[in-house]
Amino acid sequence: MEYLIFSKKILQVFFFVFLLYALCSILPIKAFADNMNSSHFQIEFGNINIASGNKSSSSYQISDTLGQTAAGEFQSTGYIILAGFQYIHSIIPFKFSISNINMNLGTISPNTFAQATTALTVSFGGAGQYQVTTVEEGKLSTLAGISIPDTACDGSPGCTPTSAAPWTQNNSAYGFGYNMSGQDVPNDFLGGSYYRPFADDTQAGIPTVIMSNPNVGRNRQSTLTVRANVSNAQPNGTYQTILNFVATPSY
Amino acid sequence: MMMRQKKFFSLSRARIFAGRLSCEKNFVVESFINSIGVIIFIFLVFVPNVSAQQITLSLSPPHLELVAKPGKSVLIAYDLQNLADPTIMTATVLPFIPKDNLGNIQILSQFQGPIRFSLDNSDLQLDKPFFMKSHDRTQLLLRIRVPEGAPNGDYYYTLLASSQPPTNASGGSASLARATIGSNILITVTESGSVEAKGKIVLFDLLGGYKIPLLENTKLFDSSSNIPVVLLVQNEGKNFIKPQGRITLKGSFAETATYDILGQNILAQSQRLIQATPSAELNCDNTKSETACLHPYSLLLSGFFLGKYNLSTAINFGEGVPNVFAATAFIALPFKFLAGILLAIIIAIIVIKRFRKTDED
Repeated sequence: MEYLIFSKKILQVFFFVFLLYALCSILPIKAFADNMNSSHFQIEFGNINIASGNKSSSSYQISDTLGQTAAGEFQSTGYIILAGFQYIHSIIPFKFSISNINMNLGTISPNTFAQATTALTVSFGGAGQYQVTTVEEGKLSTLAGISIPDTACDGSPGCTPTSAAPWTQNNSAYGFGYNMSGQDVPNDFLGGSYYRPFADDTQAGIPTVIMSNPNVGRNRQSTLTVRANVSNAQPNGTYQTILNFVATPSY
Repeated sequence: MMMRQKKFFSLSRARIFAGRLSCEKNFVVESFINSIGVIIFIFLVFVPNVSAQQITLSLSPPHLELVAKPGKSVLIAYDLQNLADPTIMTATVLPFIPKDNLGNIQILSQFQGPIRFSLDNSDLQLDKPFFMKSHDRTQLLLRIRVPEGAPNGDYYYTLLASSQPPTNASGGSASLARATIGSNILITVTESGSVEAKGKIVLFDLLGGYKIPLLENTKLFDSSSNIPVVLLVQNEGKNFIKPQGRITLKGSFAETATYDILGQNILAQSQRLIQATPSAELNCDNTKSETACLHPYSLLLSGFFLGKYNLSTAINFGEGVPNVFAATAFIALPFKFLAGILLAIIIAIIVIKRFRKTDED
C-alpha cells in the first residue's frame, strides 16, 4: 500500500515537470538583449551612402560614383569629408590617461622582484572602439648600455610579447616584464603572476595590444605592473627605459 | 635720606625694567616656539597630497574620412587637450595597416604614400615639439594635400600626438612612460568619384555549443546559454566599405528578433568582424572561462531559448550591389533545468526511502 502511495507521489512529480515543460514549449519566448542606450551615448544605424550606380565585370559587381547629395558636393569641391563615426553620437570625447608616468622601480636587489604600477584609463564614447598598445623603446638598461633582458617568465615557451605565462621564481627567473589587470585587458593575463615581456621597438618589435573594447565606454581602467628581477651577476647601476603607450580609436 | 630714596627708586625702576625686559623676551621666545609648534602640527596633520606625475590627453575628432580628387587640399582642425600635468608634445602623421580582423591597427614606423601632411598653425609644425600647460587646449590645423597624379586608391594614416617622457628624478631604476593619442584618417583618392565596393561573407556561425552530426549547420545549446554569433566580412575591393544590413533570428513559434549591423568600415583587401546591435553585454571580470569571454563576437544572444531557431543575415555593400546572404541554426533545450529536476527527484527518492527505512526500524 505504502509502495503504491510512493509511486503515486513520483508520478505526480513527473506530471508536474511535464506540465511545466509543456507550458514552456507552448508559450512563445522571445530572445532578449540589452539595449545599447544610456545617458552617455546612443547607437544609431550608420547610413553613409556615398556610393551609387553600378559597374560590372565577369568577376565582380561594383557600385560607383557618389550618392546624390555627396556626388554634387564632390563634383563642385573635389572632396568630401566625414568626421567622427556616423553610427554613433556621443558626448564622451576620446581621452587617454596614464596615472603614473614615472614608474619607479627603486633599487633592484638580486633575487627580489622590484615592481611599480600605473593605471591606464580610456574614455572612447565618440570612438566606438579603441585599442591601447605598448612597446619598449629599448631594453631596461644603464647609460653605459648594460641591460636587463626581457623576461622569459618561469621558462614557459608561452611567455612572449603577445602571450602571458607565470613568473613566480624570483631565485632563478630574471628579466623585465609586465602584468595587466582590470578592464579590457587580454585574456592571457589569468592572474597576478602572469607576465609578458615587452615588444622591443629597437628590434623591430610590433607594439602589443594591452587594452581593447569594441563597445562604447567611459573610464575603462586597467592596471599595468612592471616587474624586474636580476641575478647576483647583474652589474650595479641605474636602469631605465621608455615605454610608449599608444591609444587609438578603431577605423 | 632723599638721595637714598631716589637711588632706591631708580634701582627698583631698573630692576622692574630689567624684569619687564626678561618677561617680554620670554614671551617672544614662547610665542616663537608656540608658532613653530603650531606650524609643525599643521604640517603633520594636514599632509598635502603628493600625486605621481600623470598625463591625460584628448584628441578630437577621433576619426576622419576623406574622398578627394588628385590636386585637392583640405584643412582639418583637430582639438588636442592636455588635462593633466604640463608636458611637451609632438604631433606626427604615420600610415597604418589593419592588424587583425577585429578593427585593431598597426601603425607603421616610417611614413609612406603620396599624401602630404603639414600644420597650418603659424607656431606649430609636425614632428617639432611644443609645450602644453596643464589644462591647455591646442588646435592643430592639419593640411591634407593629395598631389596631382596621386594614384587612385585608399591611403590610411593616423595623426599622433605624443608626450615627452619625464626625466627620472628619483635616481633609482625606472620605466618612463610616453603617452600617445591618435586619430585615424581614411583617404580615398579618386579622379572620377567612383569607388569600388566588393565584399563577401567569410563566416557566419555560432561560437560554442555542440555540433549535431545529422543536422548540418545546426548546433545544440542549453536554453539558458548566452549564444555568441560571429559575422566576418571580407572587402575584396580597392576602397574601404561600410556594410549595411541586419541579422534576423526566427524561432519555432514564429517569434522574430532583428539586429542591425553597425556601419563599421572594412578597409580595402581586409576582413572585419562586424558588430550588430542591440547585443547583450556580458561581464567577463568573474566569468573568464565562458566562450563569449574567450572569443570576440558580433552579437550575443541572451535569454531563454526553446526549440529550433534559424539565424540569417543579409548584407549590402552599396546601392546597386546585390545583397549577400548567410544562414545558420541552433536548437536549444533546457538541459540544465531538466538535470536540476532530475537531481531533485533523486534526492527526494533517497530522502523518502530513508524515512521509510527509519519508520520500519
